[in-house]
Amino acid sequence: MREVKRVVVLGANGTMGAGAAGLFAGNGFDVTMLARTVDKAHQGLGKAKEALRTDVLRERVHCGTYDADLESSVARADLIFEAVSEDLTVKLPFLERVDRARASGSVVATVSSGLSIAAMCEGRSDDFRRHFMGMHLFNPPHVIVGTEMIPGPETDREVFQSMSQFARRKLGRAVIECRDRPAFAGNRVGFKVLNECALLAEVHGVSNIDYLIGRHTGRALAPLATIDLVGWDVHHAIVENVYAHTRDEAHELFQMPVYMKQLMDEGHLGNKTPAEGGFYRRMTDANGKRMVSVLDPRRRSYSEGAAPPPNKQAFVEEMKALHAVGRYRDAMRLLLTAPGTEAELTRRVIVGYVSYALNRVGPDEVVDSPAGVDSIMGHGFNWAPPSVLVDLWGKSATLKAMDELGLKAPPVLARLADGQRLFTGQSASIGRYFIGK
Amino acid sequence: MATKKASRPVFVLGGYQTDFSRNWNKEAKHIVAMMRETVIGALEETRIEPAEVEVAHVGNFAAELYCMQGHLGAFVLEVDPALSGVPTARHEAACASGSIAALAAAAEIEAGRYDLALVLGVEQMKTVDSKRGGEFLGTAAWFDREAKGVEFPFPKLFGKLGDEYDRRYGLKDEHLAAISAVNYANAKRNPLAQTRNWFMSYEHACSTGPFNAHVGGRVKISDCSQVTDGAAAVFLASEEFAKKWAARVGEKLEAIPRILGWGHRTAPIEFSAKVAESQNDPFVLPHTRRAILDAFERAGLAGVGAIHAIETHDCFTTSEYMAIDHFGLTPPGKSWQAVEEGVIALDGKCPINPSGGLIGAGHPVGATGTRQLLDAWKQVTARAGDYQVRNARRVATLNIGGSGTTSVVHVVGFAS
Repeated sequence: MREVKRVVVLGANGTMGAGAAGLFAGNGFDVTMLARTVDKAHQGLGKAKEALRTDVLRERVHCGTYDADLESSVARADLIFEAVSEDLTVKLPFLERVDRARASGSVVATVSSGLSIAAMCEGRSDDFRRHFMGMHLFNPPHVIVGTEMIPGPETDREVFQSMSQFARRKLGRAVIECRDRPAFAGNRVGFKVLNECALLAEVHGVSNIDYLIGRHTGRALAPLATIDLVGWDVHHAIVENVYAHTRDEAHELFQMPVYMKQLMDEGHLGNKTPAEGGFYRRMTDANGKRMVSVLDPRRRSYSEGAAPPPNKQAFVEEMKALHAVGRYRDAMRLLLTAPGTEAELTRRVIVGYVSYALNRVGPDEVVDSPAGVDSIMGHGFNWAPPSVLVDLWGKSATLKAMDELGLKAPPVLARLADGQRLFTGQSASIGRYFIGK
Repeated sequence: MATKKASRPVFVLGGYQTDFSRNWNKEAKHIVAMMRETVIGALEETRIEPAEVEVAHVGNFAAELYCMQGHLGAFVLEVDPALSGVPTARHEAACASGSIAALAAAAEIEAGRYDLALVLGVEQMKTVDSKRGGEFLGTAAWFDREAKGVEFPFPKLFGKLGDEYDRRYGLKDEHLAAISAVNYANAKRNPLAQTRNWFMSYEHACSTGPFNAHVGGRVKISDCSQVTDGAAAVFLASEEFAKKWAARVGEKLEAIPRILGWGHRTAPIEFSAKVAESQNDPFVLPHTRRAILDAFERAGLAGVGAIHAIETHDCFTTSEYMAIDHFGLTPPGKSWQAVEEGVIALDGKCPINPSGGLIGAGHPVGATGTRQLLDAWKQVTARAGDYQVRNARRVATLNIGGSGTTSVVHVVGFAS
């Protein structure tokens, strides 16, 4: 693979485009940021400077437009990074122009978070197909290092491995290789859990679900608050894509709840639509006091005042107290043994997460080893990697819980030797996923 | 004051460091969680059983202020029931607390009191905002005289160190910027470094503006070490334990590094008193220089030429600039030569802070000295991964409390 010196970013005004441009420029590469207008490209540069907190980036960055600069800058580039809208009908014409303009041997990568890499190769030249791949960064890339790299059907193996190494060494990414499956690994596993929580919220209420599946279960942010953060439209696109193009043991859990679809049609997209809200809506009352009201999914309406507190559970409070003093194993084992329907519901989601994630490991699955799904759930989602939970519970207790809950036992877990650890990542970071409140 | 050599050798068996990028306050953790993770990690890394630990020394600066918690030694027992009854103590010497804990542990091994000692440095700092934290750090100076009512007192004190260099010898800020850039670049290779994913470049370190403002005289944000939550643990052992342990881990005793030498000096606490005292000395901080020479003498080394890398106390770029000539890498006042010639770079003649140091790796105050010892151990046992210095056999550490007040130096490695 040719050495990367010059990078062109398409869609440089968008969140991922600006973030990626900052990542490349911040690591010393010359970057051309392209957008529809120069003003938009400059807006992207502004976002990158703000993210990296520096004024010196502009010396390494040129801003341009698709009309005036795409062909000339792509011809000189070693890496062309496509970050236009997450829509094949938008991406394909850009990739066609890139194919015509690029120098032979330059690498083309798409930031797509789950669209078919193979579909993006259709109709492209041989040299393009050999040098094309997915490079899914997570937002914001200067903070979240988890990165999925996805080869296309004809990607040159040496080029792919050089690019993966480049992402690790030169961009500081925690890279995993994924097969070209809908939503790849992170979003496939993550949005299964998120959508499952959205389905459960209709029965148990939003506050209760975010309380039960809260940060004490191994995540930086409660699940329904996470959907509000990423946006209901993005959530919809991801689960719909997986539902339409996969068949697995959790198929029905990818069907977006009807109440979400209806509210989405009325403009409720989460945090990006503050007036409408999502699962939560931030409001100011008559006295100017800020508060958060909560959605009642069954009535499709929001609480009048502040969200009513969730029904506190002894096992949840005890888990938090144990995390606070660093007794993560005791806390997570309590989750496996706690009595009551709420504890069983929590187990179903958390053990279900481990089961689903580790069942995506295998020669015909999304990743080859648990390390892949562990890395992306840890570095991409800020969730406790599934193997960490297995190690805290122990193999036999994990398999027993899966059996009791009617969850599919992952082959990789059945093969694990007794007493052997499944998690191979950096142990110094494990505790970060278990939050004490 | 004569330098007495160690009567018995002290072996370093390794240990564990937390990920310095973590924010334990956001994780809603009590400081005991950090202590537990670190000690459990160190036990697992070294394959030492909790019941084998005979004594524990904890280094910590100010948990009373940051966490409303004193008596940290006692929390070691929370790690494992087998530690019940183990003698413990907490040591404080501002940012040198971690090294003071190590000195105490080593002294007990040299004295033959115990065969295996745990040294644990720990600090949780993100419990308060930066201004309040700056005030807490001010207690490492003479608070009433140097810090009371001063916003960010320590950048200002170390800015004055730069000014004193400038007055005596001349100092260019570009050399400080280069020191910052080296530390940040090294930190990118260290998977436990706080700033491993942050942006920094020589150009940015040279720039001044809203993104790189002056915070203390000539000291800018890029010249500062970090506010860090973190801990590091190291096991020190007698020859008797080290022999038994070497057989367990399949090593020869000769392959287990030792503390070859140490130095420990204290200067007047007020910065102005330090400068007044050193007016006729070629070294700006002669007590720090003395601590370095003591360590070399105890280690039987002629000078810095026998050292293959240094982990120094770069709380600010000016303190690393000071360390360069005080270690003897250049004549006094000419530290800039080592910067320009690349001596301190990772592939240089004597790399400084391959870990990224306090600027790049982070500075959990009471843990820094212990982290430096652990990094020295990693270097001399070729376990430093991407920030490994080739063929490092002897590594020196310099840990400083206050504005150059308490200086502790260790030389870790192999005699020849």
